[in-house]
Amino acid sequence: MEILQYFMKQWDRILEYTLNHAYLILIGILCSLVLWISVGIAVRNNSKSAGTILGVGSFLMSVPSISLYGILMVIPGLGLSRTSAVIGLVLYSMLPIVRNVYMALNGIDPSILEAARGMGMKPRYVLWKVQLPMALPIIFAGIRVALVMMVGTATLAVYIGEQNLGRLLTYGIERSRSDMIITGAIMVSLIAVLVDYLMEYLQRKLVSPGIMDYDKKPASGEVEYDGI
Amino acid sequence: MIRLENVVKKYPHMERPAVKNLSMEINKGEICVFVGPSGCGKTTTLKMINLLIRPAGGKIYINGKDVQNQDPDKLRQNIGYVIQQIGLFPHMTVYNNIATVPRLLGWEEKRIKERVDELLDLMGLYPNENRDKYPNALSGGQRQRVGVARAMAADPPIMLMDEPFGAVDPIVRAQLQNEFLRLQEKIKKTICFVTHDIDEAIKMGDKIAIMRSGELIQFDTPENILFAPANPFVEEFVGFDRALKVLNLLDVRTVMKKKLVTTNKNDSWEGVTQKFKEHRSSFLVVTDDRVRILGYVNRQEMETHTDRRWQERIRSFSTTLPLNATLKDALAEMLQHDVAVIPIVNDDNELTGIVSMEDLRSYIGEAYEDEENDDNPVIMVTGRRGA
Repeated sequence: MEILQYFMKQWDRILEYTLNHAYLILIGILCSLVLWISVGIAVRNNSKSAGTILGVGSFLMSVPSISLYGILMVIPGLGLSRTSAVIGLVLYSMLPIVRNVYMALNGIDPSILEAARGMGMKPRYVLWKVQLPMALPIIFAGIRVALVMMVGTATLAVYIGEQNLGRLLTYGIERSRSDMIITGAIMVSLIAVLVDYLMEYLQRKLVSPGIMDYDKKPASGEVEYDGI
Repeated sequence: MIRLENVVKKYPHMERPAVKNLSMEINKGEICVFVGPSGCGKTTTLKMINLLIRPAGGKIYINGKDVQNQDPDKLRQNIGYVIQQIGLFPHMTVYNNIATVPRLLGWEEKRIKERVDELLDLMGLYPNENRDKYPNALSGGQRQRVGVARAMAADPPIMLMDEPFGAVDPIVRAQLQNEFLRLQEKIKKTICFVTHDIDEAIKMGDKIAIMRSGELIQFDTPENILFAPANPFVEEFVGFDRALKVLNLLDVRTVMKKKLVTTNKNDSWEGVTQKFKEHRSSFLVVTDDRVRILGYVNRQEMETHTDRRWQERIRSFSTTLPLNATLKDALAEMLQHDVAVIPIVNDDNELTGIVSMEDLRSYIGEAYEDEENDDNPVIMVTGRRGA
């Protein structure tokens, strides 16, 4: 009841926070996709640099989000800004995206690539017409993990000035207002579920039906993460 | 068509070269089968022809042009390539798989569609049923057919096939081999075919190149390889049952007797007895006016029964064989029906000749005569039968 009352009274603010939250994630994932998919493609044939990159990714993921934001905050030129918030999200999504792109591209049956080259496809053409379409299910899995993590991590971006659902959580905790906390938590989960649903929809649209069953039983390259 | 001159391939981590000074020439419209134990360099040789592997030395010419001076992608678009794992693109439909090379060559979509349907038809796959399927919905044999169709899409004059029928079960393999041989009669491509199976090599090859440790040991027709193996290695490789393999390779025309004493069913008794007097043969084949076989009459019966109604004593042959039957078929029929002669008929069921056990034995015997005169005990001593 309390929650409903709170919701009715503060709906404009909740809406603003939710939109801010979604917007931050949107920018975060767009930057991550452009950056990390390119990186994954760039290192696909170079296991040495791939190892280094993935090592950096693992390290970043092990840094607690709060301290990462703390570090970003003191970097001159970033400070308390949306840029810092976005950079934080992008850094966190490095491992799941780069790793899945790298593994998916390297997990393709070599005989398929031999056939492609044997028919006279240029390497770039093989990448776009064969490797990437075939890697899509695993890349999608990585993006989904990254997105779900971002929804959670974005709540902590309130410490560097973001006005999003994280506010409801931090204020709620400071003031022991369970209605705020629960409203915030519900909205965050709602975004997570929606994002996941959207990804599922996109995946069904974009991945060829010929390799759909890769999705049902995870291929060897697919990585599972637990928690955020 | 394809000429290799002193081709060499060395791999950095290996002591001996994978291919040593290989020189050979493959004629237009022929199937040349590379065969040998694993690691003999047959696949390496094949892949050097379309530059998937760069030769370390020597020259490879296709129609007189050095392949190494050509753009590898352009070169490969004009050479069909089929591999054992097939390598169909799982995310593309059968249609798009087959359309791959035509698209690289910039064909119009209408022409591509016609070509795809034509190829599916040729491969015995109904276009309407299979065009839009994905490879995971096809059986192993169907995938292999699509793989061959894809390689032939742009009608390349040359095809390279690396154990193309290796991944399917023996029954489907035999089917695919037969289909492919029938197809080849029509399309007359120049084909380089790699296999480790000598039986497949004998069946498919116009020429066989036997390789060992990167060297060409013998390059010849299947007949010559079976009749005159160059050395003990080839002899052992083709197997100790090569006389039987020869039977499978040759058709009945090689030993068939065409000059036959026949008699017409309307001949008089005197006429028939006269023929028996003139010829030593123990029987006469009886035909009707259109040279179709009715049966035979036996000398002994003609001599014992002198009642002139010889037509009543015509016995029918238990079996006949068509002209394209192999000697193995003939031998099998002889053993099965316990007969010593089999008449050969053409498509119109007309008598064209006769094959006897005697002819068969003497033909094979003559072919191997030299060997026996050499008093060469190798075969008996190292025979694998006990192993």
